[in-house]
Amino acid sequence: MSLYATQLECLLVLLALLALLTDAFRPVADKRRFGLLLAGLVGVTFLYSFALMPLDGTFFHGMYRLDAFALFFKRLFLLATAFVLLMGAEFAERFETGVAEFYALVLLAATGMLLIASVNDFILLFVALELVTISFYVLTCFLRRQVQSLEAGTKYLVLGALSSGFTVYGIAYIFGTTGTTNFDRLAELLKVGVTGSAFTLGMLLVLTGLGFKIAAVPFQIWAPDVYQGAPTPVTAFLAVGSKAAGFALVLRVMLAGLLPVSAVWVPVLFVLAAATLIYGNLGALPQTNIKRLLGYSSIGHAGYMLMGVAALNTLGAEAVVFYLGQYACTVLGGFLAIVAVTKVTGTDEIRGFAGLGKRSPLLGVALFLAMMSLAGVPPLSGFFGKFQLFAAVIERAATDGRYYWLAGIGAAAVVVSLYFYLNIGRAIYLDEPAAEAGPIPVSPAVRAGLAVCLVAMVGLGIYQQPLVALAQQAVTVFKLN
Amino acid sequence: MENLLTIAVLLPLAAAFLAFLLPARKPGAIRALAIAATGVSLLLTLCIFSQFDRQDAGYQFVFAHEWVKALGINLKFGVDGISMTLLLLVGIVSFAGTLISHEIHDRQKEYYILFLALTTGISGTFCAMDMFFFYFFYELAVIPMYLLIGMYGSLPAGKHGRTKEYATMKLTLYLTAGAVLALVGLLTMYCAGGRTFDMVELKNNLRMAGSSQKWVFACLLFGFGFLASLFPFHTWSPLGYAAAPTAASMMHAGVLKKLGAYGIIRLALPMMPEGARQWVDLLAVLACFNILYAGWAALTQKDWKFVIGYSSVSHMGYVLLGIATLNVIGVSGAVLLMFAHGVMAALTFSLIGFFYHQTHNRFVPDLSGLARKIPFIGVCMVMAVMASSGLPGFANFVSEVMVFIGAWSQGSTVFRIATICAVWGIVVTATYLLRAVRASFFGPLDEQWNMLKDATTLKQKFPYAFLIAVLLVVGFWPRALTDIIKPSVAQQVLATNPHESPRMTATTETLRFAQGDKPGSGEQP
Repeated sequence: MSLYATQLECLLVLLALLALLTDAFRPVADKRRFGLLLAGLVGVTFLYSFALMPLDGTFFHGMYRLDAFALFFKRLFLLATAFVLLMGAEFAERFETGVAEFYALVLLAATGMLLIASVNDFILLFVALELVTISFYVLTCFLRRQVQSLEAGTKYLVLGALSSGFTVYGIAYIFGTTGTTNFDRLAELLKVGVTGSAFTLGMLLVLTGLGFKIAAVPFQIWAPDVYQGAPTPVTAFLAVGSKAAGFALVLRVMLAGLLPVSAVWVPVLFVLAAATLIYGNLGALPQTNIKRLLGYSSIGHAGYMLMGVAALNTLGAEAVVFYLGQYACTVLGGFLAIVAVTKVTGTDEIRGFAGLGKRSPLLGVALFLAMMSLAGVPPLSGFFGKFQLFAAVIERAATDGRYYWLAGIGAAAVVVSLYFYLNIGRAIYLDEPAAEAGPIPVSPAVRAGLAVCLVAMVGLGIYQQPLVALAQQAVTVFKLN
Repeated sequence: MENLLTIAVLLPLAAAFLAFLLPARKPGAIRALAIAATGVSLLLTLCIFSQFDRQDAGYQFVFAHEWVKALGINLKFGVDGISMTLLLLVGIVSFAGTLISHEIHDRQKEYYILFLALTTGISGTFCAMDMFFFYFFYELAVIPMYLLIGMYGSLPAGKHGRTKEYATMKLTLYLTAGAVLALVGLLTMYCAGGRTFDMVELKNNLRMAGSSQKWVFACLLFGFGFLASLFPFHTWSPLGYAAAPTAASMMHAGVLKKLGAYGIIRLALPMMPEGARQWVDLLAVLACFNILYAGWAALTQKDWKFVIGYSSVSHMGYVLLGIATLNVIGVSGAVLLMFAHGVMAALTFSLIGFFYHQTHNRFVPDLSGLARKIPFIGVCMVMAVMASSGLPGFANFVSEVMVFIGAWSQGSTVFRIATICAVWGIVVTATYLLRAVRASFFGPLDEQWNMLKDATTLKQKFPYAFLIAVLLVVGFWPRALTDIIKPSVAQQVLATNPHESPRMTATTETLRFAQGDKPGSGEQP
């Protein structure tokens, strides 16, 4: 049974090993095609995951769960991985060496994320988190002759190591005060009333580590630099995979393990959400580099989702899960377009996208709609994500008037964010392309990827029910009111 | 039958999608598709109008489909007298707008896709019976407008050096700010009303205390007020219209702006009657600022589009004053004025577009004697100006009189003074409009305008004649619309208002009598 429960992780590890072994025996001649092959295999794994059923109970001595929540996130991560590999294949020409290692590291990070989706114990949490984070240390500085990439890697390493330290220190406190690392057991003990300042300290330290993963203020400092410096596929993976993994953990730890002590952590998340919203959206205003801008924007989106967690109701949890699902489609589509454009233009500056609507209508539409979806404009999926989050916050506000402030800050953030997303839109459609700029070719693989993302973005924006149903199913595992 | 309305609303969107699939190198086909879609949509709307049950004040042609069950969202369309009137307006203006869009040559595919999406956004808002879809369509209209202005607009260098990019960004941000403010109010109603977005159900469920009604109403009033260009949130409006391409100005000043006032009438007034009473005095004062301040601003403008832009802000003041009266005749007058002003504004902007397309100059002092070269356009412009100044015979006259009667009979000092200001506003309106027409259409012909060509063929004349005909028909036969507006206003908007004084009915009767109706033929309950 345990093997059955972890088969997706096993498949990914096998794929990673395959990537490395193939490279060892037959040096990869066509880096691009190899990446596309792996992307296809991960895509097949994604489809295969729908054959799996959520299982009751736990595995590996209560450490691991395969419930609806876990399956939802596993599918999300598999989808993201397939797209990141596709982007990597487009991007591969820029790597001097080690392209197979690149693919293998992406797959290993993905394995960690899949484990994170199933975490039911602080020990597994730490192991899975480190598997993801350490893979990313290498991935962020993969363009090792570029100073920016190295800078990104170093910053991510230093701050990541620090936050891992916090996490493990916090876990030690929690174990020290309660004698368990298992979420279920912890929730039982907390219901009886095992608390104290040492326990609270441990909880806050764990929250610090999670805050780093989701890039919430005040643990967000790394995000803009790393987003800008890392190779674009890695940035996309950070924005989608790593962020979703962070939120999967936040939801699982807070709503399963620490739900009985919500009175302690909800105010903390409330303040973090407000600060994150303000910082991310204001910070993005003056940016001229699209990847850096998306770094700030990803901080802002962490703020929106924290609003949903802080609301502490079923609607909020559903909203966060829905938001992550649609955010993945949106951001992947956006980054795929960015990779395809920068492959030709060679610059991440926003002015490099001037006249994109004329140079390549498809890439123009894809990037524009992705930005508008991030801004939360109908009929795109981001609109419904935000709508649901606001509904959750206002539902909570009916009993606690302070939440109107949070809704107000969120609403102001929406307006601010529209400005910088529209500035990208302005470059795409309003500005004229440079005189020497010609059309931008788009490969069939990228076309297909963009089509999937566009259909998801617009489709989920208009008919939201399928993803809402999945999100509802996923959060039934939490005992929220 | 039930699906007729849904088809009329969604047809432009379907056409937009079809246009997306068509190759960009066939602009003729795309333009034909857009004209066909808006034309058929208008025909369907007329068909709905002809079959509209005039005895029924409730929603008709209701179409409902479950959408997201967990949140209580249904795709639900329906029209009552208020939305029927405004849906007609959308049909008329969008059809005229596509017809006069032949001046667009660059990137036509994108242009028509955006225009059609915009049309669906607006008509969807007017017909939505579900608050979620109301907001969905409301917001849907914003982004196409950003691109239409930014990609196809023009803004002659003014004294501040404002560009069209600035204008369109300002417009978008203002409208979004208003929208999210309204969203907070809408969601509060949603949570208080037992988690349903259905407007009818919500109206029955909502029992909110006066204090919370007060601020929820404020959220809705000012949120929607941004789009209705309520003073002091109107500054985006003249600038945006000035920068927009002709058809976008027509849609925006003519129809999109009415979404704001419609939101107040449809959601704020019926759901928050207590709250409404606490804010109407302020609203009346602000409406006077709209009328007089914007009128005064229009007096000093030199650019034709700015004149009309400020004029439209000024006219929205009458609409808002009508809403503030909270009585049947005032609110009905506001609805009718929305229709009349919508057609009138579309007409004026299309006429400006006609000569600007040739002169590339719309600066009033630079133009002179145009009527000699373009007599048809000159005549149309004079008629538009007459309509705008509220001369009898045009729809605007009837609606403005209704607003004045409503406001005066409201009784309080604030409203009495407001009525006087509003009547004075008509004088101001006539002043700036007649001055602009005299300066640019009459007087000696400047040689540089010798190259102007008038609208000669029927095809060219049709859109303008069509809009004038609508104004005249409604002006001479306002009951075509007032008969369906008033019962719906009485039942859907003001039914919970116990302050409906018997005097009001008397006034209504008087007006009906003045319109040649037998006294006592009966107000709908």
